[in-house]
Amino acid sequence: MTVPLLRRRLYLALQTGVVGLALLTVLFPFFWIFLTSLKPPDLVARPDVWTFLPSAANWREVFLESDVPRYIANSLLVGVVTVAIALLVGFPAAYSFSRYGTGGGLARFAVLAAEMVPPAVLIVPLFLVMYRLALTNTLVAVIAAHLTFVVPVVTWFLIGFVDEVPRELEEQAMVDGYTRGQAILRVVLPAVRPGIAAAGIFGFVLSWNDMFYALILTGGASKTLPVAIAGYWTFRGIEMGKMAVAILLAVVPVLVASFFVQKHLVKGLGGGAVKM
Amino acid sequence: MTTKTRKRYAGLLAGAALLALAPTASAVELNVIMEEVPDYDIVARLTERFEAANPDIQITFDAMPYDAMRDKILTSFLAPEATYDIIIVDNPWMDEFARAGYLASLDELVKGTDGYDYEDFVAPLRAIGEVDGKIYGVPYYNYALGLIVRQDVFDAKGIAVPTTLEDYVATIKSLTEGDFYGAAMQPQQGYKIFEEWKNWLYAMGGDLMDENGNVVIDSPEAVKALEMYIDAYNNAAPPGSLNWGFDEALRAVASGKAATMMSYNWMLPTLNNPEGPAGELAGKFQLYEVPGGKAVLGAWHWAIPANAEDREAAWKFVSWITSKEVDKERVILGGAPIRTSVMTDPEVWEKGYGERYYKTVLAILEDAEPLATGNNAEELIDIVGTELNAAVAGKKSPKQALADAARRVKAALE
Amino acid sequence: MAVEAEANGMAIPASRWGLRYRLLLPLTLTLGAVLLYPLLFSFWVSLHRYQLTRLQDVRFAGLRNYLKLFEDPAFWNAILNTLTFVFGAVTLELVLGFALALLLHRLPRFRHLARAMLLTPMFVTPIAVGLMFRFLLNQQLGVLPWLLEGLGIRIDWFGPGMALFSIILIDVWQWTPFMLLLLLAGLESLPKAPFEAARIDGASAWMTFTRVTLPLMKPVLLVAIVIRGLDAFKVFEYIYAITRGGPGGSTETILFYIYKVGFRFFRMGEAAAMAYVLVAVTLALVTLLYLLMTREGRRRS
Repeated sequence: MTVPLLRRRLYLALQTGVVGLALLTVLFPFFWIFLTSLKPPDLVARPDVWTFLPSAANWREVFLESDVPRYIANSLLVGVVTVAIALLVGFPAAYSFSRYGTGGGLARFAVLAAEMVPPAVLIVPLFLVMYRLALTNTLVAVIAAHLTFVVPVVTWFLIGFVDEVPRELEEQAMVDGYTRGQAILRVVLPAVRPGIAAAGIFGFVLSWNDMFYALILTGGASKTLPVAIAGYWTFRGIEMGKMAVAILLAVVPVLVASFFVQKHLVKGLGGGAVKM
Repeated sequence: MTTKTRKRYAGLLAGAALLALAPTASAVELNVIMEEVPDYDIVARLTERFEAANPDIQITFDAMPYDAMRDKILTSFLAPEATYDIIIVDNPWMDEFARAGYLASLDELVKGTDGYDYEDFVAPLRAIGEVDGKIYGVPYYNYALGLIVRQDVFDAKGIAVPTTLEDYVATIKSLTEGDFYGAAMQPQQGYKIFEEWKNWLYAMGGDLMDENGNVVIDSPEAVKALEMYIDAYNNAAPPGSLNWGFDEALRAVASGKAATMMSYNWMLPTLNNPEGPAGELAGKFQLYEVPGGKAVLGAWHWAIPANAEDREAAWKFVSWITSKEVDKERVILGGAPIRTSVMTDPEVWEKGYGERYYKTVLAILEDAEPLATGNNAEELIDIVGTELNAAVAGKKSPKQALADAARRVKAALE
Repeated sequence: MAVEAEANGMAIPASRWGLRYRLLLPLTLTLGAVLLYPLLFSFWVSLHRYQLTRLQDVRFAGLRNYLKLFEDPAFWNAILNTLTFVFGAVTLELVLGFALALLLHRLPRFRHLARAMLLTPMFVTPIAVGLMFRFLLNQQLGVLPWLLEGLGIRIDWFGPGMALFSIILIDVWQWTPFMLLLLLAGLESLPKAPFEAARIDGASAWMTFTRVTLPLMKPVLLVAIVIRGLDAFKVFEYIYAITRGGPGGSTETILFYIYKVGFRFFRMGEAAAMAYVLVAVTLALVTLLYLLMTREGRRRS
């Protein structure tokens, strides 16, 4: 309040300037990629060409003639199933860790530590197991692989969120005649819904972005989108235009989804973090 | 991109994608692993005719990016029942796979096929598919290296395209002026620089190993070849291109920034296509043998895994797609040639890219040696490719880099 | 901390004591199946000469695979590169993310829109980010060097000495948004009272930041560092897409190296041993951070 008006204006200008610069840095590559997707092949490698007659050939080919829509569906399916399983096993465990303090602080840490196992350790055995079960080249294999990093992260965030739910709510419900199970389902679960959204989205992003596991475990019709995108990088060069379309197609659905839940996302991540 | 999986699954529910897709017909089903490249699209197109003529055989392609293939193929080998009945094998994998006992020998099948004319495949290509005196693969397509040049630039200056490495380095240095460079090179660590530099090594009369299998990568010839390569990179290639691979080099040449590049022979038609990356420059490119003549030869081969269920059926397809008649069609459609008869066929010249092109390719193929052979070819490529790149980056002297390469290659071969 | 639950004596009937473990069962089973078994298997592999092209000849090798690593300069080079990468990337992301979070936190208008847009990079699969920047940063063909050239700046992005830093910058582009998100969340959940008090005392903005915001944010910052750090250790795609470890091995990271040894050269035993050394290194670092965190937690309570 005692800050002079001038200083406040200066601060606002600085603030707008820096945020604007950050936005420019983030968005420019997307803009250029979009421009590239509309360029005819001979202009793709010309940084000095900004205006040209746009061509819809790349968009048409990727949208209508390629299997990219199927790969998007595969990626969505893998992400959703992985996250669903992670939430189903993560929530009860989070409740146990939070309410009963099972395993103490070390258990919480162990959940996080599971996240740090490098994929390189897991991929070989996972690959061999999947192959013995005749599951390579299926989405089941990718889902199993993605569970290795999505489950720990989701559980870890949920612990923080359950911590936030006041005990009194549950106690009151049990005084009113609920069993503990009912209290968990009807009181705690609704209260952590934002956390579930947040943990779910974050887990989904990790699954959605993975190429390492998917490259080795899928093939043919079971490919996920990142593998398909990598497929535009061929022996005969990078098909930049089509890859640009696929990248933009891949960003849009997650972006839209995250826009709607970002408020919860922020809360959920904060909850887990602050209560570590 | 065309449809990668040729089988269509109508009304596929999202959930059904979870299950491995089972064949429905009672016919023999052959699963074929393929790499996603234009040559695959051509094979896929031709295969429809094979299936029409052979209703008892059904071909299913599983096309994927290069880096996913090697471990896929390997697991198929290890399974009691092969996932793939037919595979394609990249040049560096051939000895490794054959000696591990993973591939079926094809000698009997080749001999028993009338009119197959195995000798018609260019000799160096045949040699890659033969391991310890037996045939384990027949050629699918070649990726031998040639010298691609901007003919108009050479013509305008009235200079001939160089045929020796010394001339080449001098020429590309003299062509470098302002923002135009004599050569777009591919010094990226690992595979790329190895593939390119080995042509330079040949030109200086060097090799990786001598006839007795001794590592001679640190020979004076090799040091000289590397010194010349570095000289060329520093004085005739675009600055800041140390991580360049195939894609960048192609784009640099296509967009008129560089006069020459050593690249796959079949890039010429791509560059001369007005709809392609070169745009208005299309038609101004020409293909030559690499300086010194002897080129690095890469090739893909068709092979049948030892654990494949129906070898006869698999061979029926392989011998059909590589037969003289079908191969001719494949080449006319733009596939990279492998047979002498096809490259000398006037009909192919006319419907394809002209007499001069096919004759040059044939000349390149006839004087070429495989990229790398032996059980550890992949690792060898990586070791040498890392040391070469370190030398170009100025982290080591050429002599030191090659001495290190020799030491590490020897250790890997043990 | 939740451990207090027992002491508080929430009426938990004796027959229900098993519930806490029953609730843990699904998690234990899932992680046991997908995580524990592969870990044990990998450990077994790391003790053998296990080559995928010579499976008929798998032999017990004791610690030989591990000992071999100590003589492998390429492995230690990869570890060093990875540590440099993790340290550089996480530090930059932390500083930038925190600065942006502070600014965004008090942005009067378009806060939500700006936040949503700033988050986009983390939704692009890293392989695409890698290929995108390989193309954008190309000295001759890319738009960024072209724009910089206009300003008279010329940088050899993937040349010796610069390449690893460029890879770090790409990571910063992709993952600063995650830092921003986490730290913004932290800022928004801070109690209001200490700030009120600081304002009444007439503390300057800088003093408020160093004496109030920073100490309160410490747990969130540590968590952000741990999560981002663990993830950064897994860097693979940018290297794979852009430099393949070059120039001269200066961008070869540990996961890329393991991938090469295990999946290109098929020497699984050695790859598994490397992975275990990597786990040991990360475990040591994380334990250190964990100790810092718990000490902080104890001091706070």
